[in-house]
Amino acid sequence: MLETQQLTKKFKDTIAVDDVSLVLRQGESVGLLGPNGAGKSTAIAMISTLMKPSSGDVKLNGKSVLKKPGEMRRVLGVVPQKIALYEELSAYENLKFFGRLYGLSGNELEQRIDYVLELVGLADRKKELVKNYSGGMQRRVNLAAAMMHEPEVLIMDEPTVGIDPQSRNHLLETIRKLNQDEGMTVLYTSHYMEEVEKLCDRVYIMDHGKVIAEGTKEELKAILSDQETVLIDFDQNYPELFTKLSEIEGVQQATAEEHSLKLIIPKGTRLLAALFHEAERYGAQVVNVNVQTPTLEDVFLRLTGRKLRD
Amino acid sequence: MKAVFLLQWRRFYRKPLLVLAMFGLTVIFVSVTAAGGQSGPQMIPVYADKSMNNQQAQTWIERLNGGEQFQFELMSESEARSYVAEGDVSQAVNLLEADYRLLVGREDPARFALDSFLRRIYSEELRLENAEQTTPGIRSEMESALSEPALTLSVESLQGEEDSFQYNGQLQLLFGMTLFFVIYTIMFSLVRIVDEKRTGTWSRMIISPVRKWQMYLGHLGYSFLIGFSQITLIFLLFRFAFGFELGDRFWLLIAIAACYTFSIVALGLLIISLITKPQQLGAVIPIVATGMAMVGGAFWPIELVTNEILLAVSKALPITYGLQALTSVAVYGNGLQAVAIPLLLLLGFGSICMAIAIRLMEWRSAS
Repeated sequence: MLETQQLTKKFKDTIAVDDVSLVLRQGESVGLLGPNGAGKSTAIAMISTLMKPSSGDVKLNGKSVLKKPGEMRRVLGVVPQKIALYEELSAYENLKFFGRLYGLSGNELEQRIDYVLELVGLADRKKELVKNYSGGMQRRVNLAAAMMHEPEVLIMDEPTVGIDPQSRNHLLETIRKLNQDEGMTVLYTSHYMEEVEKLCDRVYIMDHGKVIAEGTKEELKAILSDQETVLIDFDQNYPELFTKLSEIEGVQQATAEEHSLKLIIPKGTRLLAALFHEAERYGAQVVNVNVQTPTLEDVFLRLTGRKLRD
Repeated sequence: MKAVFLLQWRRFYRKPLLVLAMFGLTVIFVSVTAAGGQSGPQMIPVYADKSMNNQQAQTWIERLNGGEQFQFELMSESEARSYVAEGDVSQAVNLLEADYRLLVGREDPARFALDSFLRRIYSEELRLENAEQTTPGIRSEMESALSEPALTLSVESLQGEEDSFQYNGQLQLLFGMTLFFVIYTIMFSLVRIVDEKRTGTWSRMIISPVRKWQMYLGHLGYSFLIGFSQITLIFLLFRFAFGFELGDRFWLLIAIAACYTFSIVALGLLIISLITKPQQLGAVIPIVATGMAMVGGAFWPIELVTNEILLAVSKALPITYGLQALTSVAVYGNGLQAVAIPLLLLLGFGSICMAIAIRLMEWRSAS
């Protein structure tokens, strides 16, 4: 339905997006995962016809949208990372304006406003000014505004940044409903791994402007299928012990975090004996040892050598 | 375009303070300051220096009252000071033998006109006195020559009065302050474009089916209408509620207001295309508005400015042409033909500014 072909954006000496090719099939939910500065927002700006690429193409149903963006703009709903609303107006007034931009009027406009407000759970507070809403409620109106014209494809650029867990769950549930119950195609950008795991069928991982991996969640995790993650909690921080443990034969990746250490090792590696032996030598107390199957976070760590929120 | 235009009115309804403040400031400033003024000759209390006798003082008064703009009245120093102290007049004159002093109670644009008038009369009189010392009887010869001139030159205008400088303090104040304060209203309404780009609502509009020119037109249409309405309402208010004499061609004043508003909208757009941060605009707009008003003749008549550089700069400012056209119609009673050039200059200025501004904005967003 929607695809990008070798999309590239250069700003003077910086390449923000480098040769990115993505495909969104009708009705699927795709995650675009990457740390801050990976190039996700720039890629989205080009896909949504807000920014012209330096090279490459964006196609909707096989037709390039770069010269004639009209059709793309009609089928696309974009939820920006910023809360792009008029804060001195009410949610109702904001939605009325965004609906009018798409040619809605009269009863059709009113019904659509009622529907999207119901969808985001703000029907009973529609007359309140946006500036008086909590951050989470503003995010919900931000989503509702993108839904006014019944888009076929919804692109969301980190829609849950800076909101409370309750609003976040509400938003994620709304997006899941839109995708699964209404068949809306979703491109979801985030650096929150758990959101992407919960919502998306397929995932693209971006770093330094490039797509470094893509596939279903299972396919990506299969990158680490012959490996397992061992999370060890200690009673306190032991920097020297952590260094020593990361040098044990077979350890492929080690990440220290205050009182704990995460190791990625090949399946079947005999680690525990060496772990307890070294802990004894350093006088450290092991509080907990947990062996996990790899997560997308581990995959990202393995591919980039850094964590998503670095 | 309609959606963007209507949105601006909705936003005005929610946040009307700035526009109402500019409207209110104009009304308060003009009504309070002009309250001391009058449409006829302005009364100026005069007291003579002790070195002058009553005869000499009376001679000076007769000489000074030869003009039409001021009515000089001789009185004691204490009476003149009392007039000024109580605010009945803004200034008084102290006559000296070969000079004068102004006693100023409050700032009044008429002060420049008064000073200029006194300087002219004094310099003429003193030259004549000097000439009398070398050529006795020259004064009577000159007076008789003036009463029976060898050649009579009469000047007629196609419309209105003859083209000599006439100062009407009330209208100078009304036009000057109205055109000055409306600059703030228009430019601060245009700052919304910058603000929309910052908050992201502009991007949201771009990715909708609305075309970019429609977005601009929605904003510019609102800014034009809010500025134009402000000028029109103020003119109506002062004409009908305060009884200001605005001449017989009110429709022409409104047409001038429209051309002026267009030029300021375009200038505002040019400024926001050059300066893209709302905080910087908050500083730049007052500088531009005040500077333009000072040089363009909003605070005092441009006819009193003698500095060649300032006069040259004033020729590049829309407010100069706006004031020139309004004064021409309301004070001199001229018609459309007399103000056609200032109006064309305003429209031309606006069109050039707008073309540059839109090109600049597009270039910025593309890069």
